[in-house]
Order: sequence, then structure tokens, then C-alpha cells
Amino acid sequence: MAKKLGKKARKFAKKNLQSVLKRRRKIKSMFKRKAASRRVGNEDAAEEYEKVRSEQHVRGNFEDGAISNNQLDNLFVEDDDDLNEDVSDSDGYLSEDPECPYISESENENDSRDKSDHIAFFEQNKEIHLEIAKQKRKLERLLEKDPKFSEFLESRRSDLDQTRSQEIYSDDEGNTSYLDGVAIRGSQISHDDKILTGHTIDVWCWLVMEQPDGPAFANLLNGFRAASRYGINSDDNSSQKIPNRDVFSKILTFVLCEADGIFRRLLGVPDSCIKESILKLKSTSEWKTMRPLMKSYLRSSLFLLNQVTDNQILVFVLSRLRASVIFFTLFPSLVGRLIKILVHLWATGEERLSSSSFFFIQDIASQLSSDCLDTCLTRTYNAFIAHCKFVGPTNLKHLKFLMDSVVEIYSLNIQKSYQKVLLSVQQLASILRQALKTKDKEELKKIHNWQYINCLDLWVKFITCNFRDHDLQQLLFLIIQVIRGIAHLFPGPRYVPLRFKCVHMLNHLSLSSRVFIPVASLVFDCLEYRGNSHSDTTQRMQVDFSSLLKVPKQFLKSRDFHAGCVLSAVELLVAHFIQWSYHISFPELATIPLILLKRFHEKTNVESLRRLVKRLIDQVEQNIAFIQKKREEVSFSPNDQASVECFLQLEKTGPPAPFTQYYSSILQNSRF
Amino acid sequence: MGKKKKVILPPELPQEVADDEVEVSDEDVDFVRENLKYAKFLTKLDTNSINRHVTRVADHKEDELEALYEKRNRKAALLKSKEEDERYVDPVDALPIKTLDGELQYRTAKGSKSGDITNENKSASWIKDSEKDTGVVKLTKAERRLKMKKSRKEAKKLAEEETKVDPAEEKLHSEVLAKVEEDLSAEELFAKKKIRLAEVGMALIENPESNIKSLKELLQICDDDDHNIVKLGLMSLLAVFKDIIPGYRIRLPTEKELEMTVSKAVQQTRSYESTLLHSYKAYLQKLITLDKQPTFHHVAVRCMCSLLDAVPHFNFRESLLANVVKNISSSDDVVRKLCCEAITSLFINEGKHGGQATLEAVRLIAAHVKFHDCQLHPDSIDVFLSLTFDEDLGKSESKEEKVKHKKKRRWQNQEGSNQVQGSDRKKARQELMVKTREEVNADFKAVSFVPGSEERRRMQSETLSAVFEMYFRILKHSMDPSVSRSKVNAVAASGASGSHPLLASCLNGLGKFSHLIDLDFMGDLMGCLKKLAGYSDHFDGSSSESCLSVSERFQCCLVAFRVMRNNLDALNVDLQDFFVQLYNLLLEYRPDRDRGEVLAEALKTMLWEGKQHDVQRAAAFIKRLATFSLSFGSAEAMAALVTIKHLLQKNSKCRNLLENDAGGGSFSGLVVKYQPEAADPNLSGALASVLWELSLLAKHYNPSISSTATSISSMASMDPAQNQVYLSTTSPLQAFKDLSIERELFKPTGKPVSLNRKRMRGKDFVIISPDEVQKVENTIDEEEVKCRLEEHFMVLRDIAENERLRGELNHTLSSIKLYKEYKRQKKQRDTSNT
Repeated sequence: MAKKLGKKARKFAKKNLQSVLKRRRKIKSMFKRKAASRRVGNEDAAEEYEKVRSEQHVRGNFEDGAISNNQLDNLFVEDDDDLNEDVSDSDGYLSEDPECPYISESENENDSRDKSDHIAFFEQNKEIHLEIAKQKRKLERLLEKDPKFSEFLESRRSDLDQTRSQEIYSDDEGNTSYLDGVAIRGSQISHDDKILTGHTIDVWCWLVMEQPDGPAFANLLNGFRAASRYGINSDDNSSQKIPNRDVFSKILTFVLCEADGIFRRLLGVPDSCIKESILKLKSTSEWKTMRPLMKSYLRSSLFLLNQVTDNQILVFVLSRLRASVIFFTLFPSLVGRLIKILVHLWATGEERLSSSSFFFIQDIASQLSSDCLDTCLTRTYNAFIAHCKFVGPTNLKHLKFLMDSVVEIYSLNIQKSYQKVLLSVQQLASILRQALKTKDKEELKKIHNWQYINCLDLWVKFITCNFRDHDLQQLLFLIIQVIRGIAHLFPGPRYVPLRFKCVHMLNHLSLSSRVFIPVASLVFDCLEYRGNSHSDTTQRMQVDFSSLLKVPKQFLKSRDFHAGCVLSAVELLVAHFIQWSYHISFPELATIPLILLKRFHEKTNVESLRRLVKRLIDQVEQNIAFIQKKREEVSFSPNDQASVECFLQLEKTGPPAPFTQYYSSILQNSRF
Repeated sequence: MGKKKKVILPPELPQEVADDEVEVSDEDVDFVRENLKYAKFLTKLDTNSINRHVTRVADHKEDELEALYEKRNRKAALLKSKEEDERYVDPVDALPIKTLDGELQYRTAKGSKSGDITNENKSASWIKDSEKDTGVVKLTKAERRLKMKKSRKEAKKLAEEETKVDPAEEKLHSEVLAKVEEDLSAEELFAKKKIRLAEVGMALIENPESNIKSLKELLQICDDDDHNIVKLGLMSLLAVFKDIIPGYRIRLPTEKELEMTVSKAVQQTRSYESTLLHSYKAYLQKLITLDKQPTFHHVAVRCMCSLLDAVPHFNFRESLLANVVKNISSSDDVVRKLCCEAITSLFINEGKHGGQATLEAVRLIAAHVKFHDCQLHPDSIDVFLSLTFDEDLGKSESKEEKVKHKKKRRWQNQEGSNQVQGSDRKKARQELMVKTREEVNADFKAVSFVPGSEERRRMQSETLSAVFEMYFRILKHSMDPSVSRSKVNAVAASGASGSHPLLASCLNGLGKFSHLIDLDFMGDLMGCLKKLAGYSDHFDGSSSESCLSVSERFQCCLVAFRVMRNNLDALNVDLQDFFVQLYNLLLEYRPDRDRGEVLAEALKTMLWEGKQHDVQRAAAFIKRLATFSLSFGSAEAMAALVTIKHLLQKNSKCRNLLENDAGGGSFSGLVVKYQPEAADPNLSGALASVLWELSLLAKHYNPSISSTATSISSMASMDPAQNQVYLSTTSPLQAFKDLSIERELFKPTGKPVSLNRKRMRGKDFVIISPDEVQKVENTIDEEEVKCRLEEHFMVLRDIAENERLRGELNHTLSSIKLYKEYKRQKKQRDTSNT
């Protein structure tokens, strides 16, 4: 244990307290006090660091620290048969078999091609280079002028280190300290920087493919690890250096493409297997040797996900890693991190990335333990809620995808998610209650926003998807009440889009649950509302209801708004009618709307609307005639519910009636 | 001294007296110089607390802490003023009464001071109390009296002494006071005025008879320039008047009466009454004038309303009423509410004034409505709803009186017969006795506010006719299209709903008093209502702009039915038109725009409570309501279903609708085929239809509706002879309220049931199509990824390089910077060496 602790301390010192160590060597005093101040400096450095790197990145690092405890015992296992224990200190670094060759080869490290890529950085680097040369000259002149200054400089250097240049471990400082650290440890093993040349990688790849259980695999994974961390810690103690981009990309693509297959071959796991059989692996002897390898691979991949910002690479990594999803069962600590990363990518990434992250999440939720499912449920819901505050034409599609995916994940295990959904809907209801009670402006705002509506929409979708298979009666009733309450709470033409949304949701619910929800009255006032028919046609404004909840005042009088209202109303009415177009009481259902539609048709003077409404009237009347004709043939009474259910069931499955065709034509240019 | 004052004066004081204007006499200056000690307190004054106090006075609420500060300041101020009093009063020695030497003066001051301190705390609560209702004030008054018992004795004594002092002295005293006041800084003045108000007010309440003259002083205070003081003064006067106004109306003595010599007591009472009356008049005049000023509007209205509420029997009620009614439809919510409450309490507590005021108020309001052409806030008419008309009043009481009279007669007769043999002298005395008794009775009647039943009946009928006249005016006005059109804009400004703001409350009132409507009016009224209910028909082209809202039209039908029901036997008017209106209005109804309660109530009154209906009509309504419930929300649907159920229960023939008889059934009536769009229920041919709606309603999401629908459809099997057995108890109105959204949402949700899985589901996607997966997988291009990876590598490397270079640069720069420090140190070393 003492040894372990000592090693841990040493590792810490080497990582974070280089300058202190150095100073101790040089001045051999004031160690402890300075160490404290050094800490502060380190924190500053961390802040600086954040600016350079993305935030996510830091979080990843933090988590490294958080679960380092876990890794320590792993390392112990490795230490037993490890030759170079020092390097294995670093997480995930694997022991290497000396047999495995490093092929040195004078490779042109920086071929000219490399430099042309990022001009901005290149130029900046060049400038800094010049600046350094200038300043160095100045310093030299000073030194020449006053030789004693160099002594002073030496004595003050350690102080200087504290305050300056810590944020970036400058190369020569880092190197010296690193070397010093090695020297202090008494250099058990002198080890040269292993440069990974392209040739080495080729040979390793070949070796691994030929002989998966050979030592090359560990080396390759080390290389993978180094590549995934490339550019993050220059003081990284992994000995492998990536010289150029060919090596970098080769190592990453090869490992990502092949690792899953190799692991499966080594462990004898078939392509499709469930988590129970994987858990059995734990007791096998192969597992002992494979465990560090696999862990290193998974960790490095996660690291890469945090690092990379390019969508293409991310999608690639995700798709490769997804193949090994089942292996995450064995590393519960990694799953949490994985889910966090995935949810972030899912919520913020662009289309392809978002969907591939979602599929990954879905795999995790369905294949791993129920704890993982819980985490997925909460995290996806929270991410969705955080991202649905605004709706515009740009993010409409993405939001729809997010909503669909949440529904998808919540539908995986209804028993588990039902309580969560019920809780959420009850929360929505209580907000509505409060607003109904007080009619306070602030309370109304809580409902009259996209977050609320989107959340409601989410659960409506959830119910429509699962009502057929599950008993969601209670949830259904509650959500219908909430929606009706919203429609009741916001009367007036200004809130027409919001009410349309409500009707739309009710139609959906009705369609899936096959209960009758009367919605006609909610659209009637649109058939009555008449905007200023003489509105100036020059000011044509397109009203897009899909991204509006409340109509801006200047639209209210416009003819377009009126037309939009009627269009949407017609659409919603048709959607309402189509559900009951084969029901025996369709004629009665359509009676009042038909009367109002006819009245509207008489009065309106906008030709396009007249045509639209006329068509609806004709279609409805046709269907009424159809049902009435059929109805006269039957002999049962309304109280014979069973016979009512059977009415026209045969026709329903037959060729589509004219009204159904009409509906699909309306649906084509739907606004919802 | 001037300097010191400057420090004290808060800049935001409402009534600041500029330093230059304050005349500081030489004497004053000398005085201060001589007695520096006296002025010392000025330096100690806590300006902060004074400022706070002064700025906070407006809302009459003083915390204890502040009160403490105040007390201290006041005490100090008072002390000073007293000393000055002495100083100035003594040398002049102009006091006519010898006994009132300096010593006594001093004692008075002391007394007033001590009274002051006790008053201080009370004055705050007192002023607050005065804003409350009379009942509360009376209670607190009693409490206050109890509390004050200790200080009372002394105060009384002092007050008596004060009253003995003749006016001349008082005048001098006030002059001196005024002089002193000038010297005090403004906030002290304010405090002083407040104290004076409190003092005078307390004295008045304690002993109105002897202090009645102080009313004038209070009135004078109300002329003050300081708005806050005026407000306080008005409120104080209100409290005083509420307390001291007697329970009778004061009749000033005629000249003849004045000539008569009367006892001292009567003289005193007379002078007291006349003073009271004059001050009250002056107060009212002040209120009426102040009412026109925006700053005092609220206070004035509040005072007038409380007075009207407290002393409606007293003199000058007419002007009070006129002013309250004037404000009854004020656009200011607070004012309007106050006035309405005052009038309502006037109507409710008729005992206070014997009904006379009610009649006056009603007449005034009616005139007001007429004057403003019916464009008022509905609240002003709603007050009529609290009117009560006692129908049996006249009859029963007159009977009683007759009986009494008879008894009396008998008794008198008996007496007379007994006394028949008595002497003449006795007889004469008897006659005198009877005569005086009658006289006294008559006087008592005249004075007391319980007028004879005849009188009351007369007043009631007059009130009623005034009310109905106004209602009819409003109805007529609503029917006049030209007026309503032109007034639409004006109404929009007044904030009332619709173009006929008063119509709804007018209809309400008509509904309430329908049983009192004179039969002669009935025909006209029904005509009006009929016209109004079908108003939109007259304007075919613009029904949406028709002047009556759907709710109002529902109400018209409703009122018509109420009127008819309450006068069942009297008239035989065909209500068919109203049924037609209701039948069509059902189509016009829009939830959230129109008031559902009115709809439900109309259903209740016209269909649910009605007697036997014509079969055709009943069937038509059943069909229409069933169709209606397919389109509207649960609450409306429930109201409709309850009505349907009731109608079906009462009309056994209508139950044919529940059964699908091939061939239209035996009872198909005139029209063979159902016409859903027919405007007349009798011509719709509803009997030929089948209530298929019920089968769809049985699938309603709301379990109570679906169960009701099922139960209705099962009524088909009911025995036709079995009439009215299960009459449902819930009225449509009740059903509507039960299922309204507000109520529904507040119903506790049942415990989450454990989930029953109906079917197992595979791992299929629910929404997202599986192709998506393929699509995503297919889009990965390895070459592309390779390029991206390489690019990524380059970026990383450049960043690393950049970091390294920056580090180096910083290092070098800092080394150079260190050189400066090095040089400085070297210099120091050099200097220290030398």
C-alpha cells in the first residue's frame, strides 16, 4: 500500500508539480508553502486551458480524475507482470511486449503537405517564432551587458515559473522536468521515445490480424490511446509519439474498424448476444487478460469523442463504437460518461450525428442494464426540455427528430417510463391549474411558451404511439383535460395558432385511442372570424402557424391570416371527420359544422377560400349520403353497441372511399 | 435659528414655508439668544426620523417605532410652544378672567399635553377606523371609550373649563396659537395640526353637546393648504358626524317657535341642533366641491358613501344621494365599487330610512341612465338586484292594523261605557287624554321612520315602477339599431362589453323581478324580448355585427320564460317563437366566447323545468341537443345530455328516437324525413330520425358523458307507460358546472394504476423508420473520414506548436522583465553599500 501511495504521489508530483520539484532540487527550501501557491497557479492554468480547449474537454478530464480510484486497482493487476510499471501509471496504458518490434526509420516527419493545411495557425506560429527570436536577442544582449544578471535570473527562475508560462508547459521546461522526474525515480528503465512510424503501424496491423492474441494488439491499443490524446498533454508520459498524420489516421481507423471484431474473436462472443452472456465472461480466464485491453480501447474511444469536433469523424467513431455497445455492460463507470457524451451530441449535433448518437443511446437503453435505461430516460428528457424553448423554421426538423427519439426511448420499457410520464403530465396539469386559478400574466406565460407546448406534444406522441399496446387510459384522460384547458384559457383570435395546435393534438389522440373527442367547436370561430377584407394587398405577410403560438397584432387584420385560419380549420375538421367517416353517426357529427361551413361559403368573398370550403362541403355531403344510405339498411338501434362497432367495417378495409382520398389530398399540403 | 431650521426642513415637504417668508421677529431671536437651552433640542432633532415621518404620513400607518420618535418630537415641540405661550401670554396679561392666571394656563397646557400623549396612539387607529364600516367604528368607539376612562375625568374637567372661557378669550388663544405655529417648522406644524384634529375630534365625540362649536374649527382645518391635512380633516369629520348625528331628522324651529320662550335646556338643544346642521351642511358642501378635484376625489367619494351608508335618514340626504349616484358608473373601479356598495347597503337596510331613500336612489339612477343614454357601466344597474320587494307587506299589515284598530275601538268603547256615568269634568279630561294621545301618536309617526304600511306600499310601487321604467328604457334602447350603431365607439371607450352594456344586467333584473311586472306591461315586454332574441334575423347581411351577443339573446329567451312562468295563469302568450330562437341559437353558441352558464340556464328554464312539451318540438330539441353535444366540450355536452334525458323521460313518445324502426316508425309526424337544417323545430321532422349520436357519444373520452349517453340509449327498453319514474335530479346548470374545465382539472387524479400491457411489442421502432439506421450507416465514407482525421491531426499539432511557442515567448519576455527588477535591486545594493 505504501508503495502504491508513494507511486501515486510521485505521479501527481510529476504531473502537476514539476516546477516545485525542480525548485526543491535547486533551492531545497520553502517547499510546502510554495506548493500551496502552486496550486493556485495550477487553477489559473486550468482556466486558461479552458479557453483553448472546449469545455466538454475539461469535463472529460475531470471525469478522468473522478474515476481514477477505480483505475488504481486495475493498474495493480497490470503491475504484477509488468516490466515498465512507470508508464503503466497513466490510465489505460498497456504493457508492451519487447518482442513486438518498433521499426525505426527516418521518415520525413513534416512533409511539405502538412504545413499548408491550417494557414491561420501556421502564420501565427511563424509570427510568434519571429517574436521569440527578437526577444531572445534582447535577452542575450542584456546578459552580455551584465553577466551577473544571469545568476540573478537563475535564482529567480523558479519564481518565474510559478507566475508565468504555467498555463502552457513550455517545451524545454516540460522536457527538463520530465527528464528530472525520470532521474529522481532512479531510471529503472531507460526508455527512448518510441516513435510510431507508418511502417511500424503496418507491421502491427498485420501482426494483429494474423495473431490477435499476440502482443502487438496491446501496442496498437497504446498507439490508439496516444492518438486519441494527441495534442492534449504534451507532458503525457506515454512514450509513443505520433509523427505524422498518416500514422494518426491509420491507427485510429484501423483500431476503430477492427477492435470490436478482434475482441469478439478473442473472447468468443458472437455478434449478437445479450448482456447476461457477456456478464458470464467475467469469470473466464481470457477475461483477465482482455479486460485492460478492452478498457483501454473503450476509454480512448470516449476520449476521442470528447476531443473531436468534426461531424464526420464523430459519426464514424460512433458507428464503430456502437458495435461494441454490449461490452460497456462490463464497465458501468464508463456507461455514465458515454451516455452524457451521447446525449450532448444527440441534442446539439447536426442531423446525421444526432441520429447516429440517438441510435447509440437507443442501443444502450435497450441492451444494457435498467439503470442505464433510467439514466437515458432522464438525460434525454432533460436535454429535450432544454432544447425546445424556441421553435423556428430552422430547428423545426431537428426538434421533431428529438421529440421522436425521446418517444422512442420512452417506449422501450413502458412499465419503467410510465411513472415518469405521468409525473411530467401531472406537472403540466398543475401549472395549468395555477394559471386557471389566478389568470396571472406570469402564470399564463408559463403555459404560453414553446417549452410547455412541446412537452405536451411529446407526451401526446408518446400516448399515440403506445396506446394500442398499453393501458394508458388515465394518462390519456389527464392529457385531454390539459389540452382542453389550454384551449379554454386562451380564447380570441390572437391565440388561434395555439388553439390549432391543441386541436391537432386532440385529433392525434383521438385517432390513436379511438375515443371520441369533440373538437369541432374549437375551430368554429375561425369560420366566423373575418379579417378586414379590404386590407392592403401590398403588405402581404406570410403567416407560418407552425412556428407561432400567438399572432402578432399587425397580422390580425391581414387577409393572409384569415386565409390561413380557414385553411387550417378546414384541415383540422377533415382530420376530425376522417376518424369517424365510417361511423354510423357521421351525418350527425357533421351536421353543425356543415351548417356553419355553408354559411361561411355564402358570406365569404375570397374566391380561393370559397373553393376550398365548397370542396369540403361537397365531400362531407357525399359521405353523409353514403352513410345514410347504408344506415337505412340496418335494423339495429343505437343502444346495440356491438352492431354499431361492426357497421361498415368491411367497407373500411376495402378500397378507399372518396372521403379518404380527399383527406389524403388535404394531408399532402398540410400545415401541421 | 434660521440655519438650524434649514437643517431640519426636508426638501420634499408638501407645504414648505421658505425661510425668507418666515418672519422671525427680533423678540424671537432675542429670546433664543437668552434662552439657548430652550433651543437646544433643535440641534438634537433626529432629522431622519422626521423625514420618514413626514413622507409617510400619507398612508396613515405608523409603526410603533416611528410613533415613538414622533412622540418625542412632539413632546419637545409642545414644550417649546408652551414655554413660548407663557412667555407671550403672560406679559400681555390680556386675559379677562382673573382666575385664569399663568398658573392655570400652565396647568391647561400640561393637561392637554398628557391628553395628547394618550391621544396620539389613538389618533392613528381612529383615523383608520373611520375608513371602515359603521358597525366596526361603533365597536371600536366603545372600546375606545372604555380605554379612555382613566384620562377621561381630567379631560372632561378641562373641557368644561375650556367651554367656560368665553369666545373672546378663545379667539385670543387661537391667535396666539397661530402666531406660534408660524414659528414652528412645517413638519411640526403638520404634527401639531394632526394633534389638534385628534384633540378636537376626541373632545367632540366625548361630549358633543358642549363641544359642538369645535365642528367649525374642524371645518376650518379642512381649508388647509396641506392636502394631507385636508384629507385627514375630512376623515375626522366623517368619523365625528357618524358618531354624533342623532337617529332622527332635525327640524329647525320656525320663527314662531323661536319667539316662544323656552326653557334653558330646550334653548341649548336648539342651538346644538342648529350648529350641527349648519356644520353638516357646510361639510357636505365642502365634500361636493372637493369631489370635483382629482386629488380629493377618492376621499370625498369615500366620505359621502360612508355617510350615506351610516346616516341615510338625516337631513341633506338628497344631495348626498345625488352625488353618489353621479359617481356610480365612474370609470375608476374603486370609486364605482364604493358607490355601488353604498347604494346596495341603502337598499338592503331599508329600516334605516324607511324606504324613502330607496325610492329616491332608484329615481336618481333611472334619471342617470336616461341622461347617459344607457351607456353606463353594468355595475350601476346591478345594484337593483339587491332590492327587495315585500309582496305581502301591504295586505297582512293592513289587516293587522284593522284588527288592532278594532280592538282599540272595543277597548275604547268599553272604557267609554264604563265611564259613562262619570262626571263631565272627568269626561272632559278623558277627551283631552284621548286627544293628546292621538296627537302624540301622530307626532311619533311623523318622527319615527316606520311609516305606515300604506305609505310603504305606495313607495314600493313607485320604486318598482321606476325600476321597470328604466328596464324598459334599456330594452327599447337596445332595440333601436340606429342608436346602438352610432354609440358603438363611445361604449368601447367606457370599457363595457358589447354595444349594450346595460342589457345583460337589465335582463337579469327583469328575470329576478319578473313576478312583480304589471300585467299591462307584459305584452309589450314579451314583444320586446321576442324582437331582441331574434335580433340578428333583421340584419341578414351582417349577423356577426348584430348588436346582441349570443349570451344576451339566450338571456332574452330566459327572461321571457321566467316572466311567463311567474305569471302562469295571467297570460296566455305563445312561447313558440322563443323555442325557435333557442333552437337556432344553439348553433350560434361558441364556447369561451359566450357564457356557458347562460346556455345551461336557458336549457334548464325552457326545457328541463318546462311542462309537457309538444312531441314534435321535444323530439326536435332532443335531436338538436344530441347533435350539439357531438361538437362541443364536455360541460356543454353534459348539460345537453341531461336535458335530453329529462325530455325523454317525460315524453314517452320521443323514445321512439332511440329505436331504429324500419320504415320510419309508426309516429313519423308531418315531415317524413329529418331536416337538420330546418330553422323551425316543428318542421324539422325529428321524429323520423334516430339518435345515432348516442353511439358516438358512448365513445366520448369523458367517462361521465359516455356513461350518460349509454344510459340514455338504454332508455329505449323502458316501458312506455312508465312515465316520470326516474326523474333525474341534476339540472343542466349543475351538470354544466360540474364538468366545466376549471372544475374538471381540479378533480383529484386517481392513483396511478399499475400498467397492464395489452400486447408484447418487439424491438421495432415506434416512430422512426428503421431505414434511418441504414441511412446513417451508409453515409460513412472511410476515405472522407481519413481525410478528416488527417486534418484534425494537423490542427492539433499546430495548436500544440502554438502553445509551445507562446510559452517560450512568455518565458523570454518575463526574463527581460526581470532585468528591470534586477537593476533596481542592484541600485539598492549600491546605495546601501555606499
